[in-house]
This record gives sequence, structure tokens and C-alpha cells, in this order.
Amino acid sequence: MNAWTVILAAGLGSYLFRLSMIVLFDRITMPARLQRATELVAPAAFAAMAAAGIATTCMSLGAARAAAPLAAVAVAVIAVLRTGSPQAAILAGMPALWVATALLPT
Amino acid sequence: MISLRANRRDVAAGARAMVPWLAGIVPFGLVIGVSAARADVPALAGWLTGPLIYAGSSQLATIGMLSAGAAPMAVVAVALVINVRLIFYSATMARHWRGTPWWWRLAAGYLLVDPSVAVGLDGYRRLGRGRGHAHYLGGAVLLWVCWLAAIGAGLTAGAGLPAWLHLEFVIPLYLVGQAIAKLADPAPRRAIFAAAAAALLALSAPLQLGIALAMAAGIAAGLTARPAGSAQSIHPLQPSTEVPR
Repeated sequence: MNAWTVILAAGLGSYLFRLSMIVLFDRITMPARLQRATELVAPAAFAAMAAAGIATTCMSLGAARAAAPLAAVAVAVIAVLRTGSPQAAILAGMPALWVATALLPT
Repeated sequence: MISLRANRRDVAAGARAMVPWLAGIVPFGLVIGVSAARADVPALAGWLTGPLIYAGSSQLATIGMLSAGAAPMAVVAVALVINVRLIFYSATMARHWRGTPWWWRLAAGYLLVDPSVAVGLDGYRRLGRGRGHAHYLGGAVLLWVCWLAAIGAGLTAGAGLPAWLHLEFVIPLYLVGQAIAKLADPAPRRAIFAAAAAALLALSAPLQLGIALAMAAGIAAGLTARPAGSAQSIHPLQPSTEVPR
């Protein structure tokens, strides 16, 4: 199995994941509780990926320099809460990250 | 009935709704392209992870593990474990695509990934089923094109991007924005806090299983909240005060 077949197998498996419930639920009715669960998938996924991504970044930088991404996240949270716009997280958070990184001692 | 020609405006609206996502997605694609260029795998094979796997984290893991010489079956297993969330997304979209032609489900299913689900669900919530299909396709196709273009750009020129830009941090910030903006409803709020806490606790879980475990914890926590009245939300990213269709 070389790189090409590995990528092909991973791609085929991922496609089958994508089709799985679309095909299955065309034949059966989704229970109400499962329907409620599907509504929570995106918030749970986004929160989990955000927390893991931030933690991984902080750990890779070490204790001293982790302050920069944490400050950026804090600024992003405040910006979203004040504006109500999710896009404010990037617009405020990235400049905050650059400034905080520049200010921290190397 | 799926008529994209009759719903050109909805296709365009779906594409416009995808644009804010691209601010986070395009840099991520560039990062993957740069990773592929530096990895010990053929450049074309690295780029092909885009159209074949079409999920950033899984692509990064595949390229990284192949470059590190990991066992092929282990690489496939890790790529698929990371993509387990696609089964959830498939379940989320299933009710909107029930009874649609096979060609639609095969094509629309291929395009399922985090941003296309979010944009698509917003369209179904606001426009209903018929026009929602056009909205989904407009957003999903634009995302697909930009994703593959970004990986290609990263492969060819991305190595020149300055490291101080920290483009890798765009995605976590974007996800933070999405999560914080959806704290108004009790169920998503519980899901968000529980999933974030579980993700931190499961950070060292093997095979990147932490994300799937955290999602399960978040969904379970969200289900403990009472449904918001009789009006059911069909959109996981919006307050559940609007009646679908």
C-alpha cells in the first residue's frame, strides 16, 4: 500500500461516512431525540475543535509565549459578545495575536 | 423537486453566505498545501487529499503520517477516526434530503463538511427545502473550489508566507466566534461548554479521538436541556425560536 492507495482508501472511507446516514434515514424515520441530537452536532464540534486547537497551540509555544494566543482568544470573545458577529473573532483576534506576539519577550 | 436553474438567486445567496467562512478556510488550505510541499510524499498525492478526503484535519494527519513513514493501515484508520464527525453531519442533513434523487444525494453528500453543513442548514431554515437545496449547493461548491485552489496555492507558493502571520490560528478563532455567538440557547450552550471541557480533558487521547469524544459529551449535555417550547430549531447554529419551513 503506497501513498496513493492510502489517500484513495481514506477518501473512499470518508465518502462512505458522508453518505451513511443520508442513505439510512431515507428508509427509516429519525427518532425525535436523535433529531434533537443532530441539532447539537455543529455547536459541539466547533467548541471541541476550538478548545483543542487553542490548547495545542498554547502547549506548542510553552508557558511564557502562550499568553499571546490566550490574549487573542480573550479579545475575540469580547469582540463577538459586543458585536454579536462571529466574524469579529478573526477581525479582532488576529491583530491582537500579532501585537501580543510582538510585545512578548522572545 | 430540485431546480437549480430556477433558483439562481438562492445559489448566489449560498455562495455569499460561504464567503465569511473562506476567511478561515483559505489560510487553512494554504497551510495544508505548505505541509504537503514539505512532506515526503508526491506533491500531486498531497493535493489529491483535497478532492478525495476533503476534510482539513484528516488531510493534515494523512500527509503528516505518510511523511513520517507510518504504517499505511494506521494512516487510513487515523484519517477515518478524525472524520467520524462526518457521520453526524450526514445524519443532520438526512432529513432535508429524504426522497431526493440519488444523483443529488451522491453529489451533495460528497460536499458535506463543517462549513457546508452550517451554510446549508441556514438555507433550509430560512428558505425551506426546494430553495434550500440551491442555497446549499451555492455555498458548498464555492467552498470546494476555494479549498482545492488554496491547497494548490500552498503547494506552489505558500512556503513564502511569513511565519509571524500565524495563519494556523485563524481556524480556532473562527470556531470561537461561531461558538460564542450561539450561547443564547440553553441546549447549544450546554453542548458548547461540555464539548470544550471534554476536548481539553481528552487532549492526550490517542488517534485524535478526543474531538469525537468531546462531541459526544457535548451532545449528551445538550440533550439534558429542555427543548425551547414547541418551536423546534432545525439549525444547530441558531436559537430555536423560529419555526422551520
